[in-house]
Formats: sequence, structure tokens, C-alpha cells
Amino acid sequence: MNLQATNRVAAAVAAATRHLLPLALALAATPAFAHSENGVAIDFWGGFTHPIFGPDHVIAMVAVGLWGAFLGAPAIWLLPVVFPLVMAVGGAVGVAGVPLPGVETGIAISAIALGAMVAFAAKPPLWIAAVLVGAFAIFHGHAHGAELPIGADAVAFSMGFVIATGMLHLTGIAFGGLSHWPAGRIAVRAMGGVICLLGFAYLGKFL
Amino acid sequence: MNRSFPLALLICLIVTTTPALAHSPIMGVGGVFGGVIHALLIPEHGLSLLALGLVLGRQRQATRRAGLLIFAAGLICGLVGAALTSEEMLAADVLLVATGILGLFVAALWMPPFLALPLAAVAGMTFGLDSRPDGISGVEAIRMLAGSGLGAVLALVIAGEGSVYLRGNTPLIAARVAGSWIAAIGIMVLSLRIVTRITVG
Repeated sequence: MNLQATNRVAAAVAAATRHLLPLALALAATPAFAHSENGVAIDFWGGFTHPIFGPDHVIAMVAVGLWGAFLGAPAIWLLPVVFPLVMAVGGAVGVAGVPLPGVETGIAISAIALGAMVAFAAKPPLWIAAVLVGAFAIFHGHAHGAELPIGADAVAFSMGFVIATGMLHLTGIAFGGLSHWPAGRIAVRAMGGVICLLGFAYLGKFL
Repeated sequence: MNRSFPLALLICLIVTTTPALAHSPIMGVGGVFGGVIHALLIPEHGLSLLALGLVLGRQRQATRRAGLLIFAAGLICGLVGAALTSEEMLAADVLLVATGILGLFVAALWMPPFLALPLAAVAGMTFGLDSRPDGISGVEAIRMLAGSGLGAVLALVIAGEGSVYLRGNTPLIAARVAGSWIAAIGIMVLSLRIVTRITVG
């Protein structure tokens, strides 16, 4: 009896496998993206989420906006303008496969340095702030560029990627706008301190 | 259920898949209107029109109008070229370079006419050459090219004349940020294309 039942189950499984497996495989097939490699969609959304899903990138980008807002005009727009331009150059270097030592360490240090600048309310000359942000942007760009899937065309991906970076800066600027009020100033500096500490945590992870 | 059903189903599904084209016309939308949409929905084309519009919007009226006319003239030449040729050219790459330079100009808010006008010509020409729809030929392709030209000129007029009203601190900062993003996208995409070309061949 048991043997019959087992046989029946086995026959049912075999029938299901024979008929349903090809159907399941066909239905599970994903669309063929023209601009993809290894199944990674190189589209706007893929690019948009690329920086957002890297928490170490996120805190550094937010710190750029925070610091810009803290320094006031013209740093509030100059830093978010400098960052994507230099980041793109770093990205091009990464895409080209040119190695850059200590990329992850550099990203962690960028969070530490930029967070500390906000936490300690540092106000260096504008050109020093721009050079510092630009130098760190190289590491961020290189990391993104090296991870960018090679595809036929990636305009939408790059658009998403650059716009997400800009949005993170804007988030920092928006939060940094609180520094106009005494309590907000404390909150912004505290946020800088948190970013700095998170940077140390990432640095410890990479060392 | 017939034994051959799974195989038949698989074959049907495979046969019904369509190729993914970088410049595919919008499904179900053809003709002149399809061309207009084609001109505006390709990201690099939209970016180039935005960048050129921002640059022309910062020029004096006479220079701005001259820039629009130069772009239109270059565009017509490019569209004629696209209609007559069928080979892949470097137009998309040159357009991207021009767009990146225009983006840098916008980010710096430095837009001298002696550079803006030649860039308008280059952008128009390469825009036209890069507008050839994939997989379509004959009269339908010519209709779509005409639509692309019409859409591009209309969009540039709107962007150029609209950006004249970008006055005051905040709109100009927004323009600078947009310019930096456009330039950054240009640099990234161009590098990726070059590497892809070298890698893939």
C-alpha cells in the first residue's frame, strides 16, 4: 500500500516536472536587457539605487551637503557641483580598470573627515574645502566606476547614478539648513559626529 | 496534455521575444509623432537639448536666435545624412562630448558665444546623424527623422527661451548643479563606451 502511494506520488512529481518545469522556467525568464551584464539592469533605476545601497557612500554624500550648508554660500552649491564632476573623472578611471589603492579606505576616511569637519564646525578657505571634497570624490567615483557593469549604452544608468548622488547632497543641504537656528546647529554638528563615527566603523571593517 | 506541449510552449516563448534595441522606436507609435517622441525620449538627446538650451538661454537675444538657427541648420544636415547612410557612426559619441562641454559651461556659468555657436552646430549635426531609428527604412524612416528634427527644434526653443527666465540666485545655482550633472553623465558614459568598445571590439 505504502509502495503504491509512493509510486503514485513519484508519478505525480514526474508528471509535474515534465509539464510544469519547462513552463516555470519559461515564466521565470527575465527580459533581455540590451544594456546589462550578469543580469544587472543598466537602466535609470539601477543607476539610481547604486549609490543609495552603499551606506558608506550615502553618509559621505550627505556629509558633503551638510558641510556645504554649514559653510554657507558659495560652498553650499560649489561643493555639490565639484563632487559629481570629479566623481565622474574617478568613475572614468575606474571604468578604464586603472587601479587606485585603498578605495574603500578612502571612502571611509571621506566620511570621517567630512563628518569631523561638520562636527567641529570647521570653516577652512573655500578652495581647501573644494579640493578636499574633490579628492574624496575620486575614491567614490572610482568605486562606482569599477563596479559599473560594462554594457552597450549606459546613459540612463549614469543619469540615475548622478541624480541619486545629487539627491543625497540635497538631503545633506536640507538637514544642514537647520544650522540657522541654535538648536539646529547642535543637531547638524551631532549628525556630523555620527557620520564621523560611522566612518570609523567602516574603516575598522576595511582594515 | 501532449508530451510535446512543453517543448512547443518553450519554442513559442523564445520565438515571441523581441530584440532590445538601443534606439528602438516606441512600440505602436510611428510616423512624425513617433519621431518627435524618439527625439525627446532618448536620454542623451534630451540631455544635449537641455545643456544647449541652458547655454543659449544665457546669451543675448541675437546670439540666442543665431544659435537656434545654427542648431537647426546642423540638424537638417545631420538628418539628411542619417537618411542617406545606414552605417553606424561616431555621432552619438561626438554628441556626448559636445553635451559634456556644454554641461561644463553651464556649471561654470561661462558661456562665450564664440564657443557656444560652434557647439550648437556640432550638437545639431550629431543629433541628426544619431536620430536614425533602428529597424525601420524607407518612407517611415524619413517621417520619423522629420519628426525627430521637429521635436528637437521645438524642445530647444522651449529650453533656450525658458532658461532666459533663470534669474536670481537660486535658479542659477540650480542651473549650475544641472550643468555639473550633465557634464558628469557625459564623462561617465563616454568612458564606459570607450572601454566597452575596446573590450568587446
